[in-house]
Amino acid sequence: MSLTPMSLPRFDADAATLVWHEALLLDQKAWEAWLALYTEDAVFWMPAWKNELETTTDPENELNLLYLPNRAGLEDRVFRIESEDSYASVPLDRTTHVVGNPLVIGEEAGELLVAASWLCHVYGIRGAFTRGGRYDYRLRRTPAGLRIARKKVTIIDDRLEGPVDVFHV
Amino acid sequence: MQTKSRYAAFVDDAGTRFRVDRAVYSDPAVYEAEIDAFYEGGWLYLCHESQVRAPGEYFSTLMGRQPVFLVRKRDGTVGGFINACSHRAATLVPYQSGKVGTFTCRFHGWVFGLDGRLMKVKNEESGDYAVDPRAEFSLTPIPRLAIYRGFVFGSLRADVGPLDDYLGPTRPWIDLLVDQSPDGLEVLPGSSTYVVRGNWKMQAENGVDGYHVSTVHRVFAATVSNREAKLGLTGMARTESGRLTGNVASGGYDFGNGHMAIWAQHTDPTKRPIWQQKERLASAFPAAKVDWMINRGRNLYLFPNLLLMDNPSTQIRTIQPIAPDRAEVTVRCVAPVGESKAARSARLRKFEDFYLTTGMATSDDLAALESTHVGGHGRTARWNDFARGASAQVKHGAEDTDGAGIGSAPDAMTGNWDHEIMYRGFYRNWLRRLETHA
Repeated sequence: MSLTPMSLPRFDADAATLVWHEALLLDQKAWEAWLALYTEDAVFWMPAWKNELETTTDPENELNLLYLPNRAGLEDRVFRIESEDSYASVPLDRTTHVVGNPLVIGEEAGELLVAASWLCHVYGIRGAFTRGGRYDYRLRRTPAGLRIARKKVTIIDDRLEGPVDVFHV
Repeated sequence: MQTKSRYAAFVDDAGTRFRVDRAVYSDPAVYEAEIDAFYEGGWLYLCHESQVRAPGEYFSTLMGRQPVFLVRKRDGTVGGFINACSHRAATLVPYQSGKVGTFTCRFHGWVFGLDGRLMKVKNEESGDYAVDPRAEFSLTPIPRLAIYRGFVFGSLRADVGPLDDYLGPTRPWIDLLVDQSPDGLEVLPGSSTYVVRGNWKMQAENGVDGYHVSTVHRVFAATVSNREAKLGLTGMARTESGRLTGNVASGGYDFGNGHMAIWAQHTDPTKRPIWQQKERLASAFPAAKVDWMINRGRNLYLFPNLLLMDNPSTQIRTIQPIAPDRAEVTVRCVAPVGESKAARSARLRKFEDFYLTTGMATSDDLAALESTHVGGHGRTARWNDFARGASAQVKHGAEDTDGAGIGSAPDAMTGNWDHEIMYRGFYRNWLRRLETHA
């Protein structure tokens, strides 16, 4: 990814609000409103770890924990949860996301590149887990306002316990 | 024979029924005996050759409780050693995998060659040794190493039979995967390790459990059907799910030595990445073998720690017991060398859809396994039942004309993957190995 060089990251209230809004909707399990934050062609990507230091970087040739090439992939996840037929999703885990340091670190083709850090505390029948990582967003200006055109989630945890669905990260 | 009666009491193998005491999933003494007998006492899968390709590339893992590493030596062969400095036991590699010229202990600086020989002792001259340390302190090799078509196995006991004999009739099943490319298989970068809060045998059983598929995974089938209808997907962008909802030809195998397998017919093999290669395969192999490769989804379990899956995608899954109530499972995508970019990409997307704890099926399997772990502690209800198929037409050895088409003669076979005959083979082997381990 080639970034437009910026002397300093900057805070952008609209971008930060969108990132924080997403966390709120996930914790509220307000799935439809959450999906509406994404563009139809939005990519949702969580790379796997290749070794102790590097994640995978090439989804066409390397394995990922999640690689959903469009919003329909996220809609699949909601479909599965709402079916109440997924063993791992009944009962559904409780989550609370804390998203910090949302900063605009660049701009590309008119889209904002936003980096943030996240922690998600999960409680469910398997116990309590706290996992964390980074978000790398690409936000697009649309007539309806800022929307998520791409979200890359880096999860620093390996040896995952319990299900890790799109709302756990 | 007090030991013998202890393990025999866990398996009720009385003719018409087959039951296993749920204590086998939680009893600490059983667990320790299993690690001694199976994981440190016989053949174990270690890695795929493509993970240690060039001289100096290493891969570290565990054999039971014992840390080991595999390394490509300068002569091109694969070596394996206990991952502990011969001096004071510090592990020799800081990463799970990597590439080195020598193994240098970070504790006292001893240097070992890729062949395990001690090359340098720090301050050797002032060590006042009474012996020649470089002659005395080579690394300890894994006593037995053998490779079957790229899959590297080892045994911490030297007195095991040949690997080929151990694998027996599973070898043609491994060939069904390896022969998908003239250049063999490669493990793709990226892996995922997940924790099963339950016993390692639950993962072994689940990997060849056809009976759970049409309940636990019907939501996966519904989800991908919904997606494909909504997006109008075609070809490899779709995911085969006919076998998930039932009503297809299927079967289950007990291969002896605890090895098990299931298969189910694909309702539409054109969704599979291997479909692109059907003409090349048809010109290279007999029709029966090509049918097995292309038209049948297969899960093969090799006792005690390996699952090879060739379904929507292709997977190497390894099982590492941690404690009676805990196992770590690592999944890797394995693919035919040289397949098209489209096939490689489709294979990865199908893997991610189904097979990971972040996927839409393995996560449900894990939840099911963990609930059996909780339920199994209800000790007042003692038995797990494996009676399905007890009155079925079970074929043995050469009677299985289906398997004979690929040169594989099982101990027992049933033409329904809902049956549980393979588990009977698994637990008979389990009992035999525990009773004879000394």
